[in-house]
Amino acid sequence: MAQIDLTLAPTGKKKSKKRSLWADAWLRLRKNKSAVAGMIMLATILIVIYSSPLYLDYDNDVIKPDLTQTLQFPAKGKLLGTDELGRDVLARILWGGRISIGIGVLAMMLSSIIGCTLGAISGYYGGKTDGIIMRSLDVFMAIPSLLLMITLVSIMKPTITNLIIALAIGSVPSVSRMVRAQVLYIKGQEFVEAIRAQGASDFRIIVMHILPNAISPLISQFVMEIAGLILAISGLSFIGLGVQPPDPEWGAMLSSGREHIRDVWHVTAFPGIALVLTVVALTLVGDGLRDALDPRMKR
Amino acid sequence: MQKKLLEIKDLTIKFHTDDGVVEAVNKVSLTVHEGETLGIVGETGAGKTTTALGIMGLVDCPPGRIEGGKIMLDDRDILQLDEDEFRKLRGKEISMIFQDPMTALNPVFTVVDQIAEVIANHQQLGEKEAEQKAIEMLELVRIPAERAYEYPHQFSGGMKQRVVIAIALACNPRLLIADEPTTALDVTIQAQVLELMKDLKTRSKTSMILITHDLGVVSEICDQVAIMYAGEIVESGSLEDIFENPLHPYTNGLFGSIPDIDKEVEFLSPIEGLVPDPSDLPKGCKFHPRCKYAQHLCSVEEPVFQEYSPGHYAKCFVYEGKLPAKEVKKYE
Repeated sequence: MAQIDLTLAPTGKKKSKKRSLWADAWLRLRKNKSAVAGMIMLATILIVIYSSPLYLDYDNDVIKPDLTQTLQFPAKGKLLGTDELGRDVLARILWGGRISIGIGVLAMMLSSIIGCTLGAISGYYGGKTDGIIMRSLDVFMAIPSLLLMITLVSIMKPTITNLIIALAIGSVPSVSRMVRAQVLYIKGQEFVEAIRAQGASDFRIIVMHILPNAISPLISQFVMEIAGLILAISGLSFIGLGVQPPDPEWGAMLSSGREHIRDVWHVTAFPGIALVLTVVALTLVGDGLRDALDPRMKR
Repeated sequence: MQKKLLEIKDLTIKFHTDDGVVEAVNKVSLTVHEGETLGIVGETGAGKTTTALGIMGLVDCPPGRIEGGKIMLDDRDILQLDEDEFRKLRGKEISMIFQDPMTALNPVFTVVDQIAEVIANHQQLGEKEAEQKAIEMLELVRIPAERAYEYPHQFSGGMKQRVVIAIALACNPRLLIADEPTTALDVTIQAQVLELMKDLKTRSKTSMILITHDLGVVSEICDQVAIMYAGEIVESGSLEDIFENPLHPYTNGLFGSIPDIDKEVEFLSPIEGLVPDPSDLPKGCKFHPRCKYAQHLCSVEEPVFQEYSPGHYAKCFVYEGKLPAKEVKKYE
C-alpha cells in the first residue's frame, strides 16, 4: 500500500490557546448581543438594588408611614408615587428587590445543588436507586409546590432562612426531574461508555463528564426558575407567610396595591415592572449561557 | 512460542430481558499472545461487541450477566476482580476503541483535556505533565500540537478516530480492543487509520483484538482470526489458515459473499437466510438452518470445536467425518 502522508497542514496562523470551559464560555457569551444586553440590565438592577442601603435609610425612607401622603401619583420628590401608607414606592422597590432577588437566587442555588445530586444519582444508577429517589420526589410532586411551600413555612417560622429552605424544597422535585432527564440522555451516549472504558470512576464520570454536558441545556431553565421563585415568594407574601411587613418585597407590594388598582395604578405597576425587567434580564442571560456553554455553538 | 497475554475460556454472557434470555456469547474461547493481533469476524449480532465488553467488564448488568468462563490476563482471572480493581485495569492494561468516533468523545472538553484525563487518572502525574504527554500522544497520531486545544466538533471523523486511538494508547496498554474502528469512516480514511494503528501497535508492542465484519481489514493487519457466528467461535486459526484453507461452511460462505475484481459474475453467492435470533437459538449446530451441508444430525447434536491442523480449529461435523460430504467446497 502506498505511503499515505498523515500530517495535516496547520489550520492557520492562529494558535489555539489553552482556555478552560468557563473562560471559553465567557468569550462566546461576550459575542452574544442579547446576552450582553441581559447582563448589562441585570448588572444595573443588581448594582442599584444592592447599593440601596448607601442612599436609603431603612427606618425613614422605607418603612415609615406618612398618612398625609397616601396613594400619591408619581411626582417630583416621589418619583414613583406613594403607597397606601404614604411610603415611597421607589424606595420600597429598591429595598425590596434585595430581598426578592436574594431569596430567589439563594433558594435556586440550594435547590439546584440538591436537585443535581439527586437527579444525577437517580439518572445515572437507574434501577432501584432511581425508583426510590424518584418515587419519594413524586410524593412532593403530588402536592402543588406553592401548597408545599405554604405548609413548610407555616411549620417553621416565616424567617428569611426558612423561606429559602421552603422554596428550595418546593422546587427540588422539578429540578431533579430535569437533571435526571438530561443525565439519562447523556448517559446513553457512547462517549460515556468510552470514558468508562478508560477506567474513570462513577463519581468522575458524573461530575466531570455528564454534568458539564447537562449544564448548558439546564442553565437557562435554572435561571427561569429563579424568576418563578421570586413569583412564589410574592405568593407567600400575599397570604402573610412570606416576607413579613413592614419589610418591603415585590410580591407583597404587588398584592397590597391590588385593592387600589382601579384608582391608582402605580402602586402595583412599578413593582410589577421591576419584576418583569429582572425576569427578562435573567432569561436573556440564561439563554446566552445555554448557548455559550455549548462549544458546538461556536461560530 | 510467544507468551500468552489473554486467554478466554468458555466465556458465556446472557442477557435476561423481559422477552426471554438472550444468549449473546456462548462458550467462547480465545487466546491472544503478546504483540499479536487477533481479528474477530462475524455478522451483526454475532456477539463480537458483547465479547469485547465482557473483556472490559462493561457488560450492562442488569440485564446482562457473565454466566460462566474465565478471562485470564496473564495468570489473573479478571472476572474475579472487584469493580475497583477492574477500573484500574481499564485504560491502563486494556483499552478499547469504539466504533463511532463521532460520539466517542465528550463534546464539551478540548481533545487534549480528554487525553490528559486518562493519563492523570492512571499515572501519578501533575496537570502540566499529563497535558504535555497528551500533546505528545496527539503528535504520535499525527495531529499537530496547535490543534490540541480544539473541541471534538472541530475535527473530522478520521481525526476524531485518531484522537480516540491516542486516548486508548495513552497509558501504553498491553491489550487494545478495537471495536470496528473503521466502520464509521470512509474508505480512504479507513486506510489511514488502519495504517496508523498497525504502526503504533508494532512500535508499542501492544496486542490487539480487532473486531470487524470486513475481511479486507482483517487481511491487512491480523495475525490470527476467529470467525464468530451466533455467539460462538466456529473457526479460528492463523491468517493463512483462514484465508487459504477455510474449513467451516460459514467461513466459506463469508468469502463467497465478497465480490472479486478479477471475475465477472452476475450474482454474488451470499449465505442464504438470516442470523438466528439470539433469544431463540437453534438446537445442535447453530448454523445448520443456513448450511448447505446440514443433515439431521446437525439439528440434534452440537459439533465439537477441535483442532484440524496445528492452531487451526473448526466446529463442524463435516470434518468429524459424520456427514456424507467429506469436504466443504471452497469458495471460488
